[in-house]
Amino acid sequence: MTMLAATRETGALARLGRSLLRNKMASFGGGIVLLMALGAVFAPWLSPHDPLEQDVLLRLAGPSADYPLGNDSFGRDILSRILWGGRVSLYVSTVSVLIAIVLGGALGILSGYIGGLFDRITMAAMDVLLSFPTLVMGLLVVAMLGPTVGNLILAITLTAIAPFARIARAPTLTIKERDFIEAGRALGFSNLRIMVVHILPNVVDEILVMASLWLATAIRTEASLSFIGLGVRPPTATWGGMIREGFENILDQPLLAVFPSIAILIVMFGLNMLGDGLRDTSDPKLRHE
Amino acid sequence: MSNAILEVESLSKTYAARRGFMGGQIAMVRALSDVSFSVSAGEAFGLVGESGCGKSTAGRAILRLIEADSGTVRFKGESVFDADAGRLRRLRRQMQIVFQDPYSSLNPRRTIGQTLSEPMRVHGTGSAREISATVHEVLGEVGMPRDAAEKYPHEFSGGQRQRIGIARALVLRPELIIADEPVSALDVSIQAQILVLLRNLQQQRRLSFVFISHDLGVVRHFCRSVAVMYLGHIVERGPVPAIFDEPLHPYTRALRNASPVPDPAAKVTMAKLEGEVASALAPPSGCHFHPRCPHATDLCRRVYPPWVEVSKDRGVACHLYPAGSAAMSENRETTP
Amino acid sequence: MNEMIQNARVLEVEGLTTEFRIDGRWYPAVRDVSFSLARNETLALVGESGCGKSITALSIMGLVPRANGRIAAGRVLLEGRDLVTLDESAMEKVRGSAISMIFQEPMTSLNPVLPIGFQVAEALRYHTKLSEPQARARALELLEQVKIPSAARRFSDYPHQFSGGMRQRVMIAIALACSPKVILADEPTTALDVTIQAQVLALLAELKVETGLAMIFITHNLGVVASIADRVAVMYAGDIIEIAPVDALFRHPTHPYTEALLASIPRVDRDATDLKPIPGQVPPITAMPQGCRYAERCPLREPRCSAASPPLVALAGEPAHHARCWVRSGGEGRAI
Repeated sequence: MTMLAATRETGALARLGRSLLRNKMASFGGGIVLLMALGAVFAPWLSPHDPLEQDVLLRLAGPSADYPLGNDSFGRDILSRILWGGRVSLYVSTVSVLIAIVLGGALGILSGYIGGLFDRITMAAMDVLLSFPTLVMGLLVVAMLGPTVGNLILAITLTAIAPFARIARAPTLTIKERDFIEAGRALGFSNLRIMVVHILPNVVDEILVMASLWLATAIRTEASLSFIGLGVRPPTATWGGMIREGFENILDQPLLAVFPSIAILIVMFGLNMLGDGLRDTSDPKLRHE
Repeated sequence: MSNAILEVESLSKTYAARRGFMGGQIAMVRALSDVSFSVSAGEAFGLVGESGCGKSTAGRAILRLIEADSGTVRFKGESVFDADAGRLRRLRRQMQIVFQDPYSSLNPRRTIGQTLSEPMRVHGTGSAREISATVHEVLGEVGMPRDAAEKYPHEFSGGQRQRIGIARALVLRPELIIADEPVSALDVSIQAQILVLLRNLQQQRRLSFVFISHDLGVVRHFCRSVAVMYLGHIVERGPVPAIFDEPLHPYTRALRNASPVPDPAAKVTMAKLEGEVASALAPPSGCHFHPRCPHATDLCRRVYPPWVEVSKDRGVACHLYPAGSAAMSENRETTP
Repeated sequence: MNEMIQNARVLEVEGLTTEFRIDGRWYPAVRDVSFSLARNETLALVGESGCGKSITALSIMGLVPRANGRIAAGRVLLEGRDLVTLDESAMEKVRGSAISMIFQEPMTSLNPVLPIGFQVAEALRYHTKLSEPQARARALELLEQVKIPSAARRFSDYPHQFSGGMRQRVMIAIALACSPKVILADEPTTALDVTIQAQVLALLAELKVETGLAMIFITHNLGVVASIADRVAVMYAGDIIEIAPVDALFRHPTHPYTEALLASIPRVDRDATDLKPIPGQVPPITAMPQGCRYAERCPLREPRCSAASPPLVALAGEPAHHARCWVRSGGEGRAI
């Protein structure tokens, strides 16, 4: 049926922006994420207190005027620590997902385009990485190399590369069969140009969807590792670490564990909504083509 | 021969195909066997046949989009297969391809302007202003409005996309165009528009064509000479319209008879052509057409017929026309 | 005479209008379409993409996608019974038994994981009271009737083990299984090679004679129409613009579109002449003009053509030949 109306399209980011705004789920989720991110970025200015400042007298105090979310077992302001903890989560998750996108995406496109033995070997390697749950990989890396932020990022990146490679490879396989790719070769374009200029933009949609979902996974992993004590060391504020402390003091002050948990919940909720919304808007358009 | 812009000799290509459960077995598919023909400058040369005959493979092998196993292709006397990367790149500017499927031939994420200007930028054929001017000029030549350059492929119909695909093939000013079923995916009225466009372009730019199609009517209209292919071989070659009015090879005759014609008095005749097009995986012995041929003899089952030039520009591979015979008058049937 | 015709009419479509919702508004894809079909008759429904021929078939079968499609008006009388009024469960009993449909792509219409014999027998088991062994026996008979070679041996083979032409024969067997009164064939040979197409068309012609069934054959190929149709209805932009016995349509096409279409087809049996393509395009369904929908592309266009849409009217002296054109057939005479 040739009855479909045409819609105007521009570049990927603008498309993303428009689909965000049009899709309620995506914009709601995106809004949440944006708020949390801003909170994290501007933590130094937004926190009412120094997150490391202890006050023994205020140990395990409940919410008060000065300390809206109460104090932890060292008397530190929970609100400030949540804001600063967000920075760690934001940093770790963003950096690791970005690296995974670049490396995984490149591997996926190369693998799908080149095919043959290179493809088989690469995908086998990806399968190996995929068999490690992120948490287990985190444990391994941290246990062997030490609990630094850098190693945390390394662990998460290693597990994230494989899904991104797969998700970049699948559309590459279909797209490279399309005539416009062959046209490019007939016109003398180099393989690099074809991969970057022609295949990549057609793969970006899927990658973006996966990226938002993996940010959630990365945050959860960092929190989990910090919870079991293998993440960023105290006294740095991290959400996982705060939950751990809350866990230890749960009988005396349950709110200690509740607030950082809610923070994680909200961010992951927002990211998942964002990812789902993006997936809904990008899929029908892809099928349209 | 000296006027030939393209000379193809003994082109062969075999694929390894995986068969059987979990792809355990490997079978050889002979997509092209000893294909030879030449195209004169400014001529439209047709390659016809049904699916699996190898015509598309031949077109791609000529441009080295697929690497042939053996044979030679000469473009204006220069060997295409021996060219190194740099020479090949330059050759590619002169030989271009137009595809069948207008919905697959354009990158959906690029504007028309980007798609058309990219080849020129890659080859460095001019300044940004010159490139832009060429883009608009070529759009005009194919009957598209100027503002098409800012739009995306999905904003256009199939016929318009096909025009854009033709425009892309023209921006580097090639001399030879391989047209792979350029009108097969289009409606009848759009088909005619594109055929007229191609004819005009051929005259204005002095283009040569290798016109690949399964539609004999279209080939008769557009091409000056044609080669008929069956299971990787050329079975007959000759000038249009003689080859359709008086086909020599039984397959050519069957193909012509089976082609529907908009005239109720000329109903499609099947005559005695039974059976399927044999699979290229296990082509019949001897002449590949013998299982379906009403004239098959024992010789046909055993030996592949040699190519015979029955006249200056007609050739056929069929035991009905042994070498040296004045075959033209003999085997022409009175009933078409 | 009238009574005889009345008795022989197996399907009557009256004023069928099918609409689709685009961006919240309803637009007719098929507008006031009326025709009848007699026993042992093949009516070709011909037109280019978007003309509504496939939607007409889907409407008859009650298969218009419910999400944004609906039959807005009209009746579809199968031996007197109006199918439009039937609910889904009643229609399910009709589909496959009283009316069957054959589609273009046999690979997607056949279930790839079930043997073909099973699929043929399934139609029988669903609609008739035959026992399992009886259904299998009858299925085998049907496969032989459509000339599947070694049908008994291949009864349990899977669709992918057959070629396109063979799969289409299986589809025909399934369609025939319950001795339907009407078969709707939607481009059944478009995806097939020319020689295979000829075989399938010959098979359909034979089956028609053997079983006396009525067939609506949808295609965009006027050559195929000339080969198999008794009557032809030409559609354009949702309207039937001409309907006539096949000889009359080809010998003197009356509607300017039919005429132009015939003049734009390149033929294998005639010397290449200048094709006269039809300028312009079909208007989009969301922007159909008032008045005659073909007017803006028509060389005979007059002011009255844009004012109002002409009725489908019998030509003087040819009661069976109707055309929808102010200029050529006027507004007088019996409207259909």
